[in-house]
Amino acid sequence: MLFLDLFVEGLVQGSIYALIAIGLTLVYGLLRILHVAHAGMFTLGGYLSVWATNASGSFVLSLLAAALAAGVAGILVYRLCYRPILHRPPHVALIASIGLYVGMEELFRLFFGPYGMSHTDPPLSETVGFFSMRLKYAEIAIMAGAVALISALAVVVNKTRLGMAWRATVAEPQMALSCGINNDRIRDLIFFIGSALAALAGAMVALVNNYAEPTMGAVPAYKALAIIVLAGLGDVGGTLLAALALGVIESFGTIYLGKALDRDAIAFAFMIVVLMLRPRGIFGKG
Amino acid sequence: MDYAASLLTVAGINIILALGLNLITGYCGQISLGHAAFYGMGAYCAALMAKAGWPFFAVLLPAMAVAGVLGIVVGFAALRVRHDFLAITTMGVGFLFLGIVRQQEWLGGEMGIYNIPGAGLDSTGYMLLTLGFAALAAALSAHIKRSWMGRVFNAIADDEDAALTAGVNVAGYKLAAFAIGTAMAGLAGALYAHGIRYVGPESFGFVDSVAILCMVVVGGVGSVPGVIAGALLLTLLPQLLQVVSDYRLLLYGGLLFLVTRFSPGGMAGMARAIAAAAGRPRAS
Amino acid sequence: MKTARIMLFLVAVGALSLMVPAATNADSVKIGMHAPQTGFAAADGNSAILGAQLAVEQANASGGVNGRQIELIVYDDQATPKESVPAATKLASSDRVDAAISGSYSGATRAAADVFQSYKIPYISAYAVHPGITRTGDYVFRSSFVGEVQGRAGAKLIGERLGVKKVSVLTLKNDFGKSLVAGFTEAAPLFGVDIISEYEYSIKDRQFGPVIAKIKDDNPEAIYATGYFFTAGPFVSQLRAAGVDALVIGQEGYDSQKFIEIAGKAANGVIITTSLDRDSDNAETVDFIRRFEAKAGYKVDMVAASGHTAVKALVEAMRKAGSTERDAVRRMLHEVSIEASTGTIAFNTLGEVKKDAQVQIVRDGEWRHHSVISDSVLLAPPDQ
Repeated sequence: MLFLDLFVEGLVQGSIYALIAIGLTLVYGLLRILHVAHAGMFTLGGYLSVWATNASGSFVLSLLAAALAAGVAGILVYRLCYRPILHRPPHVALIASIGLYVGMEELFRLFFGPYGMSHTDPPLSETVGFFSMRLKYAEIAIMAGAVALISALAVVVNKTRLGMAWRATVAEPQMALSCGINNDRIRDLIFFIGSALAALAGAMVALVNNYAEPTMGAVPAYKALAIIVLAGLGDVGGTLLAALALGVIESFGTIYLGKALDRDAIAFAFMIVVLMLRPRGIFGKG
Repeated sequence: MDYAASLLTVAGINIILALGLNLITGYCGQISLGHAAFYGMGAYCAALMAKAGWPFFAVLLPAMAVAGVLGIVVGFAALRVRHDFLAITTMGVGFLFLGIVRQQEWLGGEMGIYNIPGAGLDSTGYMLLTLGFAALAAALSAHIKRSWMGRVFNAIADDEDAALTAGVNVAGYKLAAFAIGTAMAGLAGALYAHGIRYVGPESFGFVDSVAILCMVVVGGVGSVPGVIAGALLLTLLPQLLQVVSDYRLLLYGGLLFLVTRFSPGGMAGMARAIAAAAGRPRAS
Repeated sequence: MKTARIMLFLVAVGALSLMVPAATNADSVKIGMHAPQTGFAAADGNSAILGAQLAVEQANASGGVNGRQIELIVYDDQATPKESVPAATKLASSDRVDAAISGSYSGATRAAADVFQSYKIPYISAYAVHPGITRTGDYVFRSSFVGEVQGRAGAKLIGERLGVKKVSVLTLKNDFGKSLVAGFTEAAPLFGVDIISEYEYSIKDRQFGPVIAKIKDDNPEAIYATGYFFTAGPFVSQLRAAGVDALVIGQEGYDSQKFIEIAGKAANGVIITTSLDRDSDNAETVDFIRRFEAKAGYKVDMVAASGHTAVKALVEAMRKAGSTERDAVRRMLHEVSIEASTGTIAFNTLGEVKKDAQVQIVRDGEWRHHSVISDSVLLAPPDQ
């Protein structure tokens, strides 16, 4: 039953990665930008959800508030940060995004203090038995939430006009621009959705660890980058699968390969191996 | 003034690092987010050799060679993937390097290697040595830029497919860019190891790779004086800001954001704008 | 060429302003300090700085040092040697401090120790545990436990005091975790403790699902888990949620109210080896706890107490020596014996202290006294 335990733990971790990576792949598909500051939305979600739950007592309300706030913040980031420099070479947006992320991390520290924040009465902390394992309701919520949200997103991407516009932009960015498809409205929406999802991921992580801290976004930031490359940039379903796969590989890897490589290295070794075999990613088409 | 000397030594090392990355990313257009790994390879190589008794000058070439050879290996990865995939692949290489180092006791593991013998110079002497190497690196960069190799690099950076159809050995030149750039990082690493006299995994991580890229971008991608100024600024600025140490990182992030947002050509771009504006009234 | 000249001019202007040291009062006694004010360890750095500042305030209120007021100059080192070395160099050569302390982790402290030793400035490590620190030279001291010593105390606590034999060990992969586990592993056989499994994790990890699953499978009686409050808190919380009831034994890295806030009810029953006894009726300890909580606005933690103790030791040595002359202070540090909140501080020839290990346990959401480990042979720090 140890194997089942490790597998499920991997799925939980993978679900978190998925929620973050989806937003990144949405933005990349649209603008070809590596939106590192996305991790700042993750942290924002973590802090806001803890603060709001402590203040109001309702976790659900604070989740919605966090998602909304992050969504709006995402739109602001697009308008104030990326839109003005879209015509520049890609490394410009990358560095701007990094600068923004560092600034956000520091603002969290200066505003909320370096000690981090915890729920005074963590919701969803009761546990339930599942074969030989015990899982917190929060962990089940993460997996269920990730699957539900991302499936809904996949439906949006495949069946709606917004989704069609996004897919068109992924496939042929220049054409889409000239057809007037890749316009500000779509971009605002994409940033809103992506940032909201990242905030939800941050809220769930802050819940499971019962700790929101200024640097909590750093590790998910670069893991998510690895995942979207692994999946093949611009593929929603593929990103979910790649994220879950990475979570499971990390789970088994930390136990059985721990002596040779540390956790992050395992993730990237996996990514590099896959890329060498399939340079466009597992599911890549762009 | 020892403090000034140690600071300028670090600045010299950063100049060499930034110029090396400028070759790979600035001239040849291959975005590398793992440059600190090659810096680390040079540093660890130098540390191990120095502790085994090798004298300072004998250590420099092997450190450069190790970094350069591994740079070529990574360069082969550059041949397989492109653009943003490459950026993340190089990021992955950085993590892989550290992940291996952290688990090997003979490389110091988590704790690193201490008490590396110095170069036998006092702090001012070492500063001059390092700045001397930085000047050499600058001269090399300027020479390459004007040479045939530099033009090929630019062609590859502009439009790789066009270069290929023109009969350019794109693969070969990409590998050359990586080799030279990473060898320079290896030299910087050896200088670091003998200067700070301690090497550990926390000095060569992703954050450090990003910092070097920032020096290149803030300075002005492709411009040798720009990159030098960028390295100087981003080395000295955090120290200058020690008086407001609580806000240092915030100001650093803010600077990165503002420069890229308002002057994407970096400091070189700003200087060109100033020079152009100053030059206009004199037209006759 | 013109662009080059303009830029280099701008940067040179900036560089010149660096030659200016921190603005200080010429007549004051200067104590330098480097600690993480930003970065992942900012919480601990902040506490250490507050503890040190409190000690300076108290010393100044009681006459300063030989009639002169003390000034604390603090620089941020982000808990990494890359930053601590320039910070230490600035304190030593530019600000010309009379003495210095480290409010930072082992890696940063070790590198900085090299600098202070070469400038022959008395330097005390407040809470960094790596054994190599004091071996840097005769100007380097440590006012807290060496990692190995605390690890040995943990072995005695588990094997003898608690009578537990089957233990799993969780090692944080840095100086702190590794030296603790080295001591623990060395002393374990002496007390009949059998280490049935060992796991490692990185300081960035907050989710321990896989490791906990494996530990559950191993079924130990106790887990010797090394870490800081921001790793141990999540670990313990997730451990209990997964249904693992084994005893958890920690160390001073847990010693903060934040640990209890994060782990919530899961924190109850966790036992740690540390230097601060909150239930102590020792006048020094009681006084420190009261004053610190008034100054900081939050509950005391071990890092703050350590920062406070280190400064106290320097001040006492300076007063006894009647001067701030560096060699005199260094010699006096070997002779003084100071009553501090973290115990009786007296340095041996290597600059290490020997004292009892306090054992605290979490009861009803508070750290309470559990017991004391005092075994002078076992707890003897190295002397060379």
